[in-house]
Amino acid sequence: MLKTMLALAKMQFNQYNIYKSNFYLWTLNRIIEVIVYIFVWQAIYNQTGDAGGFTINQLVTYYILTVSIRPIALFSINSDIAYSIRNGKINKELLNPISYFQYCFGVNLGEMAFALVIGIATFVICSVFWTIILPANLTSFILFLIVIMLGIPLTFFIEVIVGTVGFYSSSIWGMEILKDAIISIFSGIIAPIALFPMWFQKIANILPFKDLIYTPINIWLGQVPTNEIIFVILKQLIWTIILYVIAKIFFNYSIKKITINGG
Amino acid sequence: MAMIKVENLVKTYQVIQKESGLFGYFKNLVKPKYKEFDAVKGINFSIEEGELVGYIGENGAGKSTTIKMLTGLLTPTSGEVIVNNLKPYKSRIENNKNIGAVFGQKTQLWWDLPVIESFRLIKKMYKIPEGEYRKNLKKFTEILELDELLEKQVKNLSLGQKMRCEIAAAFLHNPKIVYLDEPTIGLDVFVKENIRKFIKEINKEKNVTVILTTHDLKDIEDVCDRIILLDKGQIIYDGSKQKFKDTYGKYVIAEFTVKDKNLNINDNIRIDEIEILEETENQLKLKFKHEETTIVKVMEQISNYCKIEDIHMKEAELEDILKEIYKGAHKC
Repeated sequence: MLKTMLALAKMQFNQYNIYKSNFYLWTLNRIIEVIVYIFVWQAIYNQTGDAGGFTINQLVTYYILTVSIRPIALFSINSDIAYSIRNGKINKELLNPISYFQYCFGVNLGEMAFALVIGIATFVICSVFWTIILPANLTSFILFLIVIMLGIPLTFFIEVIVGTVGFYSSSIWGMEILKDAIISIFSGIIAPIALFPMWFQKIANILPFKDLIYTPINIWLGQVPTNEIIFVILKQLIWTIILYVIAKIFFNYSIKKITINGG
Repeated sequence: MAMIKVENLVKTYQVIQKESGLFGYFKNLVKPKYKEFDAVKGINFSIEEGELVGYIGENGAGKSTTIKMLTGLLTPTSGEVIVNNLKPYKSRIENNKNIGAVFGQKTQLWWDLPVIESFRLIKKMYKIPEGEYRKNLKKFTEILELDELLEKQVKNLSLGQKMRCEIAAAFLHNPKIVYLDEPTIGLDVFVKENIRKFIKEINKEKNVTVILTTHDLKDIEDVCDRIILLDKGQIIYDGSKQKFKDTYGKYVIAEFTVKDKNLNINDNIRIDEIEILEETENQLKLKFKHEETTIVKVMEQISNYCKIEDIHMKEAELEDILKEIYKGAHKC
């Protein structure tokens, strides 16, 4: 099963990798984003001399890392699923000898791997132009990686839930925008969560999105005590299970409905 | 033990009935009105291992609906489907391991990658042993002439090339049953022949059961031993191809090139036992039954009204027979 999924991931990765211009343009895009974020924050910092307790160096590192690992949180396999439903390609995919869930997860992994390679390229290029704070020690780097990895299935299940809406509506574009907006705010992609008001932070603490981006970066920066990280991982696992159950039930129910009522 | 067994299979779709006007629109949003539509109305058949079955019928006769139920993509409204001892709508993934499918133009090959990559993925997905995979690939490459295609990107293939690869992909894992839904649509004669040859050869070698739906009756003529004819959700014929021809098609079609025709035969004279299909100034297309008359008698009768220059005769083909059946079916 795992082998099949990895084979699928490889296929999807290669499919993206065929177009070299894809790679360069995406990387360039990311770097421009980093530049914009950093300029804005430098302007704020120069005016006020403060940015929510962050030093300018920390903020630069924060945004470079955010842009690099963002594919973990923001993904668009939901539109692949919805598209496949709409044009009937799903009929072919449902005839694979593995479940559609596993099929999508494999494809999703490949796509994410490609986006992360671009992330690494972005990071390396940015490190030439700006001073990036490196992880405090090897442990925090490994914990950073673990927390990121745990985010992958979590995001995948959210994607499946949004994509499954495609069974009911032929346009899920609006849903996707909403999902992206919610994740962008609550995961800390737009700004570090510590800068938001207290009530917002409380909500963000409950939701799973914060641990996709904000928490791992803070682990990298050495801002999270090691004993707290255990709780972060536990919270991620609980959310993964909850979202898995929701995605599975919703998806299977929808598939059944389709096979009963016809496409 | 039959490979496929279908009993009293019914599929009813619920279609939302649209009402006109703004009021109707809102009424529909709140409480949609459903209209039932029977796509398949209680069909029965059973197919043995290794059979080559042509599943034919007009557009909307219920062919695709049946195929979808056989593959587990649709749950029957009532009745039973058993494929290789499994109920496909209950254990779809288990069933998927034993079947291959080609659905018209919907590709299962990876668009941007070389064809061989898709094949390798299939090998991994179905866990095809290395030796078996190589053997099949070699054989398929030979018959379908895939040599130069395997390293090409799928998007660069022509329709015929793509379809050949698609067919190979469907048979690669030694499935017990293969469903081919319109595999030759839009292809040129050579590719069609190539594909037919492939189906026949693999069937002979591996005893794979093939269900073929097509609108090109040459496919059926060439490949299938058995015909299941569907019309408006019901089976109107199920049996051997030869019997089909014998029952419905014991007639001959003759085309005459004539000269000096003195009157319009079709409008003015009724010749016994001969049906005139087409008539122009110097062309006559006739139909008559073997048991009722002979070509010599027909010629005698015709020559009363014109001079015969040339005759061209052919046995009724499936297509002619089907046209007849449909005409008959639509009359009542």
